[in-house]
Amino acid sequence: MYQSFLQFYMNFAIMTLEGVAMKKTNELAIEVSHVYKTFKQYYDKANTLKEKLLFFKKRSGNDCLKILNDINITISKGESVALIGTNGSGKSTLLKLMTKIIYPNSGKIIVNGKVASLLELGAGFHPDFSGRENIYFNASIFGMTKQQIDNRIDDIIAFSELEDFIDNPVRTYSSGMYMRLAFAVAINVSADILLIDEILAVGDQHFQEKCFAKIKQLKKEGKTIVFVSHSMEQVNEFCDRAVWLYKGSVKKIGATKEVCDEYLKVCG
Amino acid sequence: MKLIKDLYQYRELLKTNIKKEIRGKYKGAWLGVLWSFLNPLLMLAVYAIIFPLILKNDIPHYTMFLFTAMMPWNFFTSTVNGCSYSIIASGNIIKKVYFPREILPISIVLSNTVNFLITCIIMVVFLLLSGVGITPYILLFPVILIIQEVLLFGISFILSAVTVYARDVEHIVNVGLMALFYGTPIVYSLSMIPIEFRKFIFLNPMTSIIEGYRSILFYHTWPNFMHLGIVFIVSILIFIVGLFIFRKLEKGFAEEL
Ligand SMILES: Nc1ncnc2c1ncn2[C@@H]1O[C@H](COP(=O)(O)OP(=O)(O)OP(=O)(O)O)[C@@H](O)[C@H]1O
Ligand SMILES: [Mg+2]
Repeated sequence: MYQSFLQFYMNFAIMTLEGVAMKKTNELAIEVSHVYKTFKQYYDKANTLKEKLLFFKKRSGNDCLKILNDINITISKGESVALIGTNGSGKSTLLKLMTKIIYPNSGKIIVNGKVASLLELGAGFHPDFSGRENIYFNASIFGMTKQQIDNRIDDIIAFSELEDFIDNPVRTYSSGMYMRLAFAVAINVSADILLIDEILAVGDQHFQEKCFAKIKQLKKEGKTIVFVSHSMEQVNEFCDRAVWLYKGSVKKIGATKEVCDEYLKVCG
Repeated sequence: MKLIKDLYQYRELLKTNIKKEIRGKYKGAWLGVLWSFLNPLLMLAVYAIIFPLILKNDIPHYTMFLFTAMMPWNFFTSTVNGCSYSIIASGNIIKKVYFPREILPISIVLSNTVNFLITCIIMVVFLLLSGVGITPYILLFPVILIIQEVLLFGISFILSAVTVYARDVEHIVNVGLMALFYGTPIVYSLSMIPIEFRKFIFLNPMTSIIEGYRSILFYHTWPNFMHLGIVFIVSILIFIVGLFIFRKLEKGFAEEL
């Protein structure tokens, strides 16, 4: 009896180990297949029960905005991919789908690995608390434990270069300092996949360069990076591939230089 | 299973959230956290004076009779009221980052549990002072508490998610709880209800739970295990259905908020 149990568990352990091994051989970091996303256009958000019942029929009209149409992208582990496109083409929406802040109407998004999204920095920052306390808040939202944060807090503070202000309340920070702190936390979350949305435009020249260098270093360490930017210079310098989104569809996908050149020809 | 894994990974977030809940409620109040004890005690004092006047009864130690049911009931209502707003209150963060959304209602339940446990210490002191005393039956307290927790988790999942889509659910819940207060044997004892109505009162899962607390703390008898067992099963079902509903609805949170 006891032995058969043991055997069962052994088998189970072997099976799970094999499962893990299988996953490792699966080199895809992000797989986006046939993703559609529409946003409801609310003129007046019906958020009470009465309104929901009363306007049930009216709202079923087609006031939906199609934002993404049949997006198919696969990103391998360790790859850096740029998303380019004009304003409103759906880049940020696609990144939000990848972090699971929003969900697609149809289609599938599979993400293998821990994600750090640098979309909107400073989520959960509390203006009355000190910079140090906010590092703890913010990092815990990214799923870090107290011990992990303790280990990294010096790196985070050093990266933000805010040693002198770190125990002041965040509301006394300038907006650049605020972004520095937020960026320092987000970049130091030990994630496998980084989603970066136009945030390199924050901070002064010196800090921007520092961020860029840090991202390059992370790339060297084998992190997967999805990078949204309007600066073709940065994209060219840094990304392996580029995806050009045009009105919610993939217009072109391929080597960075080709895609960027064509994009500039059409839109530049 | 995924829930447990998520909670373990995000335990730091859960911890800070619970702390924030406990401290935040009375932030800026002169007596601070002390209010979480004073509040129920004052309410109890009022009820202990009023109800004997309206409700003719010959229950000895009526104040303690009330106390042993009132505290679990307060725990129930403050949790249910608190959780319905929990997702909306964190709308800002939900729109910006991903984290397991279940953490929000769960931390409301847990922070209220901490409050409840502290009031229970006061309750024990009062039981001893009043001469009702305590007996080994009190060891069953965790059993009943766990049943109540499961029920509360289930209700919180449902209410917190549904309120995002229909804000006025919060008010309906408020009124419903007020009505349910009189549908639960808190100010009266079960034996004061005519037999033919009793089965209706047991449709309310809180009835068995409150009766359970009262058995072990006030009457010093075994609780009715059959009733508790049924409520436990019902609670587990509510929990599972609640989690299912939550998982369905959480996909739209960021867009609805
Ligand atoms: N919450 C929302 N509700 C309705 N429509 C939205 C919402 N968010 C975005 N949109 C619409 O989705 C489209 C794509 O937006 P998105 O933010 O993804 O563009 P983008 O490519 O990131 O543009 P930019 O370069 O300006 O950052 C826009 O037309 C915008 O109006
Ligand atoms: Mg954008």
